[in-house]
Amino acid sequence: MSDRPSKRTLALPWSELVLVVGLIIAAIYMNGLSPAFLSFSNFFEITRISVETGLAALGMTLVIITGGIDLSVGSVLGLSGIVMGILHHMGLEVWLAAAIAVGTGALCGFINGQLITRAGIPPLIVTLATLAIFRGLALGISQARSFGSYPPEFLALGAGYLGSVPTQLLVFGVLALLVGLLLAKTTLGRFIYAIGNNAMAARFSGVPVNRVLVLVYTLSGALAGVAGVIFTARVSSARSDAGIGTELDAITAVVLGGASISGGSGSIVGTLLGLLLVGVVRNGLTLAFIPAEQQAIIIGSILLVAVLLNQVIRLRSRRN
Amino acid sequence: MDAETSLLKLENIEKRFGGTRALRGVSFDLNPGEVHALLGENGAGKSTLIKILSGAYRPDSGRILLEGNEAGFGSPRQAQAAGIATIYQETSLYPDLSVLENLFMGHQPMRAGRIDWAEMSHRAQGLFERLGMELPLRARLGDLGKARAQLVEIAKALLQQARILILDEPTAALTTRDTERLMEVVRGLRTQGVAMIYITHRLEEVFTIADRVSVLRDGEMVGSAKAGEFDSNWLISKMVGRVAGQLFPRNPRPTGKPLLEVRHLSQPGLLEDINLTIHEGEIVGLAGLVGSGRTEVARAIFGLDSYASGEVLLEGQPLPRSPQGAIQQGVALLPEDRGRQGLILPFSLGKNMTLPLLRLGGWLGGNLEDKVFAEFSQKLDIRPPLAALLASSLSGGNQQKVVIAKWLATRPKVLILDEPTQGVDVGAKAEIHRLMDELVGQGLGILMISSELVEVLGMADRILVMHRGRIAGELPRGATQEDVMRAATGSIAAGVQA
Repeated sequence: MSDRPSKRTLALPWSELVLVVGLIIAAIYMNGLSPAFLSFSNFFEITRISVETGLAALGMTLVIITGGIDLSVGSVLGLSGIVMGILHHMGLEVWLAAAIAVGTGALCGFINGQLITRAGIPPLIVTLATLAIFRGLALGISQARSFGSYPPEFLALGAGYLGSVPTQLLVFGVLALLVGLLLAKTTLGRFIYAIGNNAMAARFSGVPVNRVLVLVYTLSGALAGVAGVIFTARVSSARSDAGIGTELDAITAVVLGGASISGGSGSIVGTLLGLLLVGVVRNGLTLAFIPAEQQAIIIGSILLVAVLLNQVIRLRSRRN
Repeated sequence: MDAETSLLKLENIEKRFGGTRALRGVSFDLNPGEVHALLGENGAGKSTLIKILSGAYRPDSGRILLEGNEAGFGSPRQAQAAGIATIYQETSLYPDLSVLENLFMGHQPMRAGRIDWAEMSHRAQGLFERLGMELPLRARLGDLGKARAQLVEIAKALLQQARILILDEPTAALTTRDTERLMEVVRGLRTQGVAMIYITHRLEEVFTIADRVSVLRDGEMVGSAKAGEFDSNWLISKMVGRVAGQLFPRNPRPTGKPLLEVRHLSQPGLLEDINLTIHEGEIVGLAGLVGSGRTEVARAIFGLDSYASGEVLLEGQPLPRSPQGAIQQGVALLPEDRGRQGLILPFSLGKNMTLPLLRLGGWLGGNLEDKVFAEFSQKLDIRPPLAALLASSLSGGNQQKVVIAKWLATRPKVLILDEPTQGVDVGAKAEIHRLMDELVGQGLGILMISSELVEVLGMADRILVMHRGRIAGELPRGATQEDVMRAATGSIAAGVQA
């Protein structure tokens, strides 16, 4: 007989159902635009391109569940790629250079986390600033050159197959599984949800809030670093403009996946579905020769609709 | 009183939510210039009744008569137009605007197309004089504190010609002194003919202020009596439906070795040279006005806030300066704000209870939640006993039991309780008190902060009284309310021990 309305978090099955329906509609529509769309090889093409956005979206899922945002992922991707390219150009062994690139991404994320927790600056502002700073660094140290000539075993990471599956899709699969496990089965995952739902109560309950947040942003940076390495392997050159706009697709995928932008809810399964939808739309539009500017308008609109839908469902479940 | 003279009359009000009957044929009436107290445990139906009166809910059946005429309030706006105003615990005011702007928000008098400031302050002053209140009109509301914000809310309702005020636990967050001030205002309003429905958990207020009292239990009106015709035993038995045990069950025991020692704790502007010791088996009360530094002491001990100098020892060892460290060493803090600090409301009961047990870098154990919940839901009689239920769906008393269970699960040696029974009904309150006594019997030490003097006097073995960031006095068990108030207001350093 409680007079209080029960505050249910977004019912995931509902939003995932909407998502699957959206996916089917998009696929049928895209197939109408270009008959090449619904083919097996094209499916893997979509996933190949989606992996870089996907890695950023994995980290973004954690960040958004804590109630934060990481706008810097695209710039971290670019900076990590350039670091790897320059180091390899200077003669460093390619896999060691790749590892340092991932470390660079982690360091970028760590800096974000420290600024957010120690200086108390909102994540939106911190990562907006580092979006500019990291991109600027990438442009500066590369002098806008690109760095190529990698050994074939490295390029296989971005263009090869294992069986009939693109290599980076396997890498992504493993990382998605790990992040999914982290979120659902570890104390860190529980702390992430706790912070997103009520950071103050989490702190009063002994959750090391600042350490968790720094970890989450570091992880987001590291995953963007991996994306930078994979990008380099896919296009066989490190470019300072790599990953521009990644944050838009990543955030859209996470929100489509049912995560609340105000924190507290979201899941890796949802993000994967959201990612697929964004990938399908991007790929379909590309196959239909729709220019990038118009694609951005469409993806941006999808983000708005997703947030709106999210709010409608939430409001409804609150009223019941 | 019959319908002719009643200002407001409810007849056989029924309200269902799904399968639950929140109100079962409730009748109630209110006379002009009367303070009618409405009592009941959490979930008895008080909130539903208020929401029907304020137009937020429509009754399924039954009649509402206003001065003898049928009046169904379809919306809050209609209820407001009829002169009914509800003053909630959380005010709906704008903290960044001035008192005057808040008073007339949405109803500003206009002159020549512009806001008539002179008229506004003239009207406000007139009202304040009538009520004997004093409020700075130009002050920013957010600077005034909860008590005076509440007075602003009341004044705002009266400026809009409210004839019936519904006060929903107006003193829940107020200090003793502010409560006194509010009581005076309520008395003043009564002489002006304003009728009031007064909802509270504090029985002593019912005796001081109410002309009549009505008790709701499980959606039914189970009793009604005029002032002087009831006592606290009658009220409690009506509310809980049985003769309740003592409200303050204490078994004095010999105290053991010191557990928690605070030495010369200072933080400029907040705390000044705080010294206190909590022994095994004792409840130490920390009294004082709101803002005197009681909560700040608790927060500093628990490692939530830093302090400039001094030390905190647990069993002779320095206590780590972080909540994680404090919890691991055996110190627990039940915070004052259950909904914002004590619980993660969208989390299940099981998840809430196990949160302090988790360490970064581990896996979630398969049945930890079920195990902890099974043990403590039984011990504390949490209802309903479902680990997967969301914390937001429980009543205040049961929520507080979940917070207590959460801290007991950490097996603490010292328990700091900040307002442990605030907003909790009498039945749950007695249970929490009984549990506190049982815990100190097992060798725990408890530091209890409470704004309710009766509770501190009834439960504590020793009382430390704070005033302006210092411990102004220590009083033994058996001290009187006057002793505590004198020390709390700094008028004398009562019974200070060296």
